[in-house]
Amino acid sequence: MKRPPMLMHLRIERERRGFGLWLPLFLLLPLALVVFIILSPLILVATIVLWPSGWGKRALLTLRASVDIFCSMRGLGIDVHSGRQSVSMTVV
Amino acid sequence: MSDNKKKILEMLAKNKISADDAYRLLSAVDGGEGRRESTGRAETAAKSKAKYLRVTVLPNPESDRSGSCDRVNIRVPMSLIRAGIKLTSLIPSEARDKVNLALHEKGIDFDVRNMKPEDIEELIGALSDLEVDVVSKNGESVRVFVE
Repeated sequence: MKRPPMLMHLRIERERRGFGLWLPLFLLLPLALVVFIILSPLILVATIVLWPSGWGKRALLTLRASVDIFCSMRGLGIDVHSGRQSVSMTVV
Repeated sequence: MSDNKKKILEMLAKNKISADDAYRLLSAVDGGEGRRESTGRAETAAKSKAKYLRVTVLPNPESDRSGSCDRVNIRVPMSLIRAGIKLTSLIPSEARDKVNLALHEKGIDFDVRNMKPEDIEELIGALSDLEVDVVSKNGESVRVFVE
């Protein structure tokens, strides 16, 4: 199991003025867990109902793939300068 | 057993070389093969160490004295690419047919249904050798590489 990203750093600059924002992604994880636990009976029912059509399995795999993609985001960095504006995003 | 070793043993059997000479030759052959194997292992290790796909767009250094030109620097972890490629298994069968048809129209005879986890690893491994370097007429450069 990959370690999920802990922080996201956003920086937006315009005409030499700008601001940086550290987003604590690790605070979202307990929240996401609580939402998942609350919704798990609904997910279970939906999966059972949709299983014969093949969409139930696909929905579960999509859920797993989404978690996998989120956990793989560590190290992602995007840095764009255009004229005197710049936006940068780093996932740590 | 390699051809070289067989030849040495045949020469020894026919008394064309002595036992000492055969031993020396076999040692030399073993050393060469060992070096080739270790070089291969080092290359594989270097490939597996590739961690990021980088895309950079840099302006012409002469026209960028004011520092106001466009610049892009993107770093994508290889694990994210791997996870993204795995999503192909979730494409519904109707959409897969459309994807295959679109690929076929572009001259690519590839069936996304046949994509296996081993193929994904091979694809990621092959990406390690990728290097694209484009310089436009006005001096802007675009680089895509793996580090």
